Amino acid sequence: MIIEQSKMQSLAARMSKDEVKGRSPWADARKRFFRNKAAMAGLIILILVGLFAIFGNSFAVWSNEELDFNVMGQVTTMGMPSLENGHYFGTDDLGRDLYSRTVQGTQISLMVGIVGAAIAVIVGTLYGATAGYFGGRTDQLMMRAVDILMSIPYMFVLILLLVMFGRSMSMLFLGIGLISWLDMSRIVRGQTLSLKNREFIEAARATGVPGWKIIIRHIVPNLLGVVAVYATLLVPLMILTESFISFLGLGVQEPLTSWGALISEGAGTINYGTLWQLAFPLFFFCITLFGFFFVGDGLRDALDPKER
Amino acid sequence: MFAYVMRRLAVAIPTLLLLIVFSFLLMHLAPGGPFSQERELPAQVLANLNEKYGLDQPLWRQIISYVWGIIAHFDFGPSFVYPDRTVNQLIAAGFPVTLTYGTLAFVAAVVTGVALGVVAAIWHNSWVDYLAVGISIGAQVLPNFVMAPILVLVFTLWYRMLPGGGWSFNDPSFWVMPVIALSTSYMASIARITRSSMLEVLGSNHIRTARAKGMPEHRVIIRHALKPAMLPVISYLGPVFVSMITGSVVIDIYFSTGGIGKAFVDSALNRDYAVMMGVTILVGALTILFNLVVDILYAWIDPKIRY
Amino acid sequence: MTKLFATTALVATLALPAYAAQPAEGETLSDNQSLSFWILDAFKSLDPQLTSSRTDSDMIRQLFEGLMNEDATGAMIPGVAESYEMSDDGMTYTFKLRDSNWSNGDPVTANDFVYAWRRAVDPATASEYAWFMELMNIVSASEIVKGEAAPDTLGVTAVDDHTLEVKLTKPTPYFLKTLSHATTYPTPQKVIEAEGDAWTQPGKMVSNGAYKLESHDLGVEGVAVRNENYWNNDETIIDTVRFVTVNDQNIGLTRYLAGEIDWMNTLPAGRFPQLLEEYPDEAVSAPWSCSYAYLFNLSDKGPEALKDLRVRQALAYGIDRDIIVDRVLQGGQRPAYYWTHWATEGYEAPEIEMSEWTQAERIEKAKALLEEAGYGPDNPLSLSIQYNTSEDHRKLAIAVQQFWKAIGVNATLNNYEWKVHIDRLNNQDFEVARYAWCADYNEASSFLDYFRTGGYNQGKWSNAEYDQLLADAATAENPNDLYKQAEAILIQDMALAPTYHYAMAQMIKPDIRGVPLENVMSSWYAKDMYRVAE
Repeated sequence: MIIEQSKMQSLAARMSKDEVKGRSPWADARKRFFRNKAAMAGLIILILVGLFAIFGNSFAVWSNEELDFNVMGQVTTMGMPSLENGHYFGTDDLGRDLYSRTVQGTQISLMVGIVGAAIAVIVGTLYGATAGYFGGRTDQLMMRAVDILMSIPYMFVLILLLVMFGRSMSMLFLGIGLISWLDMSRIVRGQTLSLKNREFIEAARATGVPGWKIIIRHIVPNLLGVVAVYATLLVPLMILTESFISFLGLGVQEPLTSWGALISEGAGTINYGTLWQLAFPLFFFCITLFGFFFVGDGLRDALDPKER
Repeated sequence: MFAYVMRRLAVAIPTLLLLIVFSFLLMHLAPGGPFSQERELPAQVLANLNEKYGLDQPLWRQIISYVWGIIAHFDFGPSFVYPDRTVNQLIAAGFPVTLTYGTLAFVAAVVTGVALGVVAAIWHNSWVDYLAVGISIGAQVLPNFVMAPILVLVFTLWYRMLPGGGWSFNDPSFWVMPVIALSTSYMASIARITRSSMLEVLGSNHIRTARAKGMPEHRVIIRHALKPAMLPVISYLGPVFVSMITGSVVIDIYFSTGGIGKAFVDSALNRDYAVMMGVTILVGALTILFNLVVDILYAWIDPKIRY
Repeated sequence: MTKLFATTALVATLALPAYAAQPAEGETLSDNQSLSFWILDAFKSLDPQLTSSRTDSDMIRQLFEGLMNEDATGAMIPGVAESYEMSDDGMTYTFKLRDSNWSNGDPVTANDFVYAWRRAVDPATASEYAWFMELMNIVSASEIVKGEAAPDTLGVTAVDDHTLEVKLTKPTPYFLKTLSHATTYPTPQKVIEAEGDAWTQPGKMVSNGAYKLESHDLGVEGVAVRNENYWNNDETIIDTVRFVTVNDQNIGLTRYLAGEIDWMNTLPAGRFPQLLEEYPDEAVSAPWSCSYAYLFNLSDKGPEALKDLRVRQALAYGIDRDIIVDRVLQGGQRPAYYWTHWATEGYEAPEIEMSEWTQAERIEKAKALLEEAGYGPDNPLSLSIQYNTSEDHRKLAIAVQQFWKAIGVNATLNNYEWKVHIDRLNNQDFEVARYAWCADYNEASSFLDYFRTGGYNQGKWSNAEYDQLLADAATAENPNDLYKQAEAILIQDMALAPTYHYAMAQMIKPDIRGVPLENVMSSWYAKDMYRVAE
């Protein structure tokens, strides 16, 4: 899964143009978005998954860490999904309820995805806007730094970070967030360059508004569309990265879990007749990724319509 | 162009240095060392080991002598964990493997992905299109650590068609599953990008002109549409190639291929400082190189870009 | 020299027939005499003196041969040594070596052992197992390891090419049992001096065992083939031994089932019953001399609560070992109420009170003890459980956390990489930690020595009476009585929460014969195995 940079650039270009016409691009976009069936389906899926994460626990019979001693040791036969014993999604290998574990894993994965994407977008936007606005030496230096960082094999560095500093939620957020702000910063810089000579910015500068205020008040709002689309498309990427980290055993600490951890446990046991251990978490994982993906795509198309 | 390439290569050197210093510091800050044992080693033994591997030196000297070793002798030092191998030997053994299945997977992903995308775009909104989109969407989110055990189960246990692991440069049957597991999700991404950019190009004016001139459809596509439609795909190739190397972590674990992915994870877990540095530098250099190749390719295809 | 011999009397001689693969009557040998053995991780070092891993040792045992080997039941039988004599005081051993050769045709001499043993203790070699020579109580070993004496002062001498003399600092009842350990294997001085660290690479390595190294593809496989120069090559049947690396246990099992691996000796937890049902003549479980426990940190850095015996007892009582063994591991392991593995040779366990109770009684007692110690619902005890990365340790830690929850203890789980786990244990940076110990030789002292003051003993438990019993056992006629008493003290004071005794749940292709399932050390020799035609 990737984000198409060329489309993001075209979107960014359009967003900064619209400001000049003095008309919000959002009203039209909303109409277009609601007409996009895939995007609407994605939105509904995301809302449902969100509700599942928030309210799922109130339907759970078991907690996410309790061992069901009736099931333990005979998971293949007794641990199947069943309404009777309250294990709607069956149990994991230790006899823990997979339903409540999936709910809890959903919470963690969504959180990692959203926080990671938020970090990336915030850092990327501020960095890019600063470089573009101040220009000159600062810009040169900052963009050289981005060039350098672009060439670092991030997955390797992330593995190193987690191995070296031990697994922790904050390291996961930080590590995942810090790997994806680079592309964002380039696009934002490019648009800032074309924005900063506009009249309204010059006017603000003439009245003595400090640089950082101009960036936050005038430049960032003009890039909101890009930011929103980028954030939406980054979330699934973050979730995928987290799942890889969990596969390596460097994810969250037990008894907490995540989609990645559940899926890799389930994938390990596919040959033992406990397919539900893979199927349920994988289902939620996939539909959520689709959801974000369709919504992000739809949002972009709505904000940057092209004749097809 | 030449100046541009030179400039990029000049940036590569500080980048690698930064990577070396960063990884070096990270390792030495971490708890646990290569010689942490259940039974703590006698002071004398530990002192000898530290001396042998140069760990008794201050950190800045270690970094300098390490970098000097690379520049002067292309020597990445001895492994801390595998006493009979040097890092050069370990990489010489593992890297060709990773490169082989990585390249094959890369080619497979690009060729099938582009083909799928083009076919879907040509028969836009037909069942072919829906099928292609369906495949690419499904495959895109399936992690390779799910793909791999499923492949082993099906092709090794059920159909007994392919060996479930191991590696041989002479026998392609060892290559099949690693390549499939590694390429599928990128194939899907490439198919999606190709499709949408192809659609855009097919709707553009110059294609309409070509058609109006009465050019047969297949010539329109091959001579006029394909090249511009490839631009977004090419910008994506850099990240794909890097992912092939990263993905080798999963491939090496499941298929016992002995590539550098597993070597890297092991070296991080075992605190095998030298191997870890060696692999990180190698992958860093490859990333830089490949990004550069992609940029050059991009300039070659898109005449609008000037450096 | 002569004077020395005058004072030593012949006490014991060993002259048994050599042990080799011997097909039973009516068995026809298969055309396929190769063996593929599953290993989880790549070999680290195939140098007998440098290795510290079990995986490496399994390969090294095929490539090299020490003074003694183990037979199918784990009894010591002659290897390179044909016979030995022990002096009256039990402090001098003299070994008579047989005529045997290295794989390059050179003769194996007593000097090869002298070289190897000095090499093991020499701090310049930096062997992680140098302490093993100290454990054997060889004269000067400790001083050399500390760097206080020269390696050539080690109490081992080549009297002539075929006579090796070993001097000990004190009588050591288990001395002979240490002689099948990799650290004591001879190594070829000429080759090591010529090739340096690289001497263990295929093509360079020279070895004296039944097999020689053919190839070693790191992380893929290592292959050993027959050594034509081995002294008992005529009676060796298996031609090739392949060690196949599969980093994922489940994939390993799939590949076994697909016929790519012949022997997988560690099955994923919980899979054994199902496999036994489907493959009754391939699935088998055998005791293995290792014990699993949760260690309490009793050092100054440890939590105050654990210094209270009642708390330690409550925690030990709270663990439901039957569930761990029958519902989680399910591979023939046994619940452990004491430290030494139950199948250890000559060992008789003391009577342990808690092993008689039902789990309900244990929980009741645990709750009462915690309350006495001042913990209850208003003031619950909170602890952290540390474990190293592994699917099985993870499952157990989760289960124990839940067991302790039932007696009102809040435990949090801390997962670390092995290196960090070990580092924290060694620095007493833990509260409760999972730990397991495997015997280095088949005697109770190999387990009990762990808790000696000054032993590994990462929880820093200390008891003078215990130390004295172990010291006495070293020279005692019947040490097993003393071991029993020592074990009783250990459990009375609950220095640990013993959890289970290991067993190896394994899959072996039905045509393979000679797997030493009765050897609790699980040391196996491919030269003693063979495959029959179906």
